[in-house]
Amino acid sequence: MHISDGVLPTAVAVGCYGLSAALAVWSARRSRSRELPKLAVMTAAFFVASLVHVPFGPTSVHLIIPGLTGALLGPSAFLSIGLGLLLQCLLFQFGGLTALGANALMMGLPALACGWFFQAFKGVPPLRQSIVGGLAGALGTVLAALVLAGLLMTGGEDFAGVAKIALLAHVPVILIEALVSGFTVGFLARVKPELLKPAYLRGA
Amino acid sequence: MVNAIHIHLPLWQLFLLVLAPLAVPAILVAWLRHVVRRRSAPGEDPDWSVPPLADEAGGGSWFHRWDVRSKIVTLLAYSFMIASLQRLGPALAAIGISLLALIIARAPLAKVLMRLLAIAGFVGMFLVVMPFTVPVRHADTVLIVNGLTGLGFNLRGLALAAAITAKAVAIALLMEPLLSTAPLPVTLHGLSRLGVPEMLGQMVLLSHRYLHVFRHEAQRMVAGMRVRGFRQRTDLETLRALSNFLGMLFVRSFERTERVFEAMQARGYKGRFPEPRPLRLRAADLLLAVAWLALGAALIVWDRLAV
Repeated sequence: MHISDGVLPTAVAVGCYGLSAALAVWSARRSRSRELPKLAVMTAAFFVASLVHVPFGPTSVHLIIPGLTGALLGPSAFLSIGLGLLLQCLLFQFGGLTALGANALMMGLPALACGWFFQAFKGVPPLRQSIVGGLAGALGTVLAALVLAGLLMTGGEDFAGVAKIALLAHVPVILIEALVSGFTVGFLARVKPELLKPAYLRGA
Repeated sequence: MVNAIHIHLPLWQLFLLVLAPLAVPAILVAWLRHVVRRRSAPGEDPDWSVPPLADEAGGGSWFHRWDVRSKIVTLLAYSFMIASLQRLGPALAAIGISLLALIIARAPLAKVLMRLLAIAGFVGMFLVVMPFTVPVRHADTVLIVNGLTGLGFNLRGLALAAAITAKAVAIALLMEPLLSTAPLPVTLHGLSRLGVPEMLGQMVLLSHRYLHVFRHEAQRMVAGMRVRGFRQRTDLETLRALSNFLGMLFVRSFERTERVFEAMQARGYKGRFPEPRPLRLRAADLLLAVAWLALGAALIVWDRLAV
């Protein structure tokens, strides 16, 4: 779920832009500058992954994977997500030009939190990594939903109902994100464990 | 003391008065989806992405000739102006202006429709939820059906949601004139000349390029899964298979990333791409920018002053 134009008060939208820009600069500093082109190419991979739709009963939900992005990219994840949203603007998908900063915060902050969480608790055995990855996936979705609701609430009491519904809509997604993140991390732990190490493609 | 106007209605009148106007956009969205689906081959997942951005040849419209720097600044500032409108009237006028811009820029209808479809879900949520959840204030009009006082349909909420929708649509319609009336490298070059770090533009170019590569790779992998009998269902096995698919996608992408970067360095990449074309700022560009921003300011004045 992305925030569209015209929903947030202008001051909030502008403030989110400023905060996102600052965080993106921080994120770029934390990545080695010669690695930034690599980060760009990996962003393309995450973008493609986020286009995958998972069947859910009669409908389907598309993955957000802030947890996975954070777990794999660490502090660089914020820059990567901002880049992804910019791409989304460019392609004929979600516009959200004025809400770009808010959307970057909504996805990027959870990704940073999940990256820290995953690296702090992942341990060594693949099963444990998989479980921690799943928890990171759930955490990422919960945080994203909370940030979304918080941003909507800045519009005043008129927006409280919508914020509640938006929170509820994320509940089934939490389970799916957790399972997918967990399985994916488990797969990577077996197939290419160095991707899960903190030193790979991220700031020293 | 809440002093709202309560109007009691039998059920059928509610359908007529309120649900019918809501049904129109819903049907429109359903039709758009149908059109999109029909474009992709039967039995396959719809193609979720990505036509190439602007055609290098370009059209001859104002937007194509407008200096990319002043175009970006103007339309970004104008978008924020639109986003801060509060009433439906000016927001609808903004949609009109956007439509005019679309016609002038000769934007392809299909891409514009896709953009509208992309915001339909989020905006639809506001249209459905807000009338029922907005707190009742002084002089609100609330429609109450069959005496169900708990489920009042607040017209102020509907108006609020409609204004949000109109603003979102107006800005979404401007994306095509803003972004696809110049080739992507030129737009990004303009951004970097405006003070955005050059590396960001390069990263967008690289991601955009490899987005297509990885998408094709993903499609090949999905085709392979289908051949081996994979069908999507709502169960754990589907999720496990999809996760392995994602993991494999990441592994391959990381490996390709390494190769790409080595190849770039082998060709002498030192953190810069060549400048696509020199930019020139003419008086007409500035004039257009000023006129456009004045239009936005006029809309805001109308929004705030008119009764």
